[in-house]
Amino acid sequence: MTTPVLTTDRLILRAPDKRDEPAMLGFFTGERARFYGGAYDLAGAWRYFAAQVGHWALRGYGMFAITAKDRGETLGLAGPWHPPSFAEPEMAWLLTEARHEGQGFATEAVGAALAHVFAVHRWASLPSYIDRDNGASRTLARRLGAVPDPDHAAPIGNCETFRHFAPEARA
Amino acid sequence: MTITDLAPTSFSIPTLETERLFLRAMRAEDIAEEVAFFDSERSRAVGGPLPQNQVWRAVAGMIGHWALRGYGFWALEDKVSGRYLGRAGLWCPDPWPEPEIGWTLMAHAEGQGFAREAALAARSHAYDTLGWTTAISLIAAGNTRSEALAHRLGARLEGEYLHPTIGAMNIWRHPGPSLAPDDPGHASWRPQ
Repeated sequence: MTTPVLTTDRLILRAPDKRDEPAMLGFFTGERARFYGGAYDLAGAWRYFAAQVGHWALRGYGMFAITAKDRGETLGLAGPWHPPSFAEPEMAWLLTEARHEGQGFATEAVGAALAHVFAVHRWASLPSYIDRDNGASRTLARRLGAVPDPDHAAPIGNCETFRHFAPEARA
Repeated sequence: MTITDLAPTSFSIPTLETERLFLRAMRAEDIAEEVAFFDSERSRAVGGPLPQNQVWRAVAGMIGHWALRGYGFWALEDKVSGRYLGRAGLWCPDPWPEPEIGWTLMAHAEGQGFAREAALAARSHAYDTLGWTTAISLIAAGNTRSEALAHRLGARLEGEYLHPTIGAMNIWRHPGPSLAPDDPGHASWRPQ
């Protein structure tokens, strides 16, 4: 299938593939996966990443690999994620390693992914289900303009729903 | 600094055709049959039972496997009725010991030789198109139907593999590309 490629100042966002496998297996088997239901063993890590890749074929959209424009390195994933246990697609994101934090990469990537999905899919709004202990992601959601949405309970334990609105809906 | 990949990412899943089957990419419409299968005791040999949400993720993972490995499971579609019969293909997620030929039929498709027909097509694809030099099948101990098929495909019991969730599985080694007597492409093969 053909999938979109998004370009920002410092990043290229594209559908995830085997180039991202080492970084993603490291993420899912590590301590940083605690907000993704982990850490997982290698089998669980591989299954989760493979599902993120295959999500594109089942839904026609999915999470993008966040890659550094200058060196191609995989930094994380960002984009809509919609397993059937969710009532609507969620804007999700992750950075694979702590050394990628604090440089605005997640802000840049999630901002681009949001602009893309609102333009292409015409969704009016999107939730992000964020763990109450995940301070970095809560800060990022607020920085991107998302607001707490207590009317829609998160389908994941210990998570709070934040909601992003399409530019038209915000105006 | 060079930007080397601005082209749209893509991966393709080839369609194979046998006497009675299309082997094609899995689709969202196939999931309902898989949900029923994974809700049944028959799924125990392949890691079940699983709730609906996990089945959806498993099918997404099967499609993702193609992008990550360049091969994977095909949906088996009845050429006449169009019905989804199960899946068969080439499978090697982490931490698999080596690439395998796998098959799983829905309950309504059993006993008609579909698994054999699909496994032979998958094995030919592995040897003739992908250039594999050997192949195994991992079969849960006690899955007698699949053991019988492995035997009829010319595979021989070789050892054991401890699967992280399924438990003890037997390793069946298929005949190599040049000496697969059950392969329709082989000079000695005759329809049964």
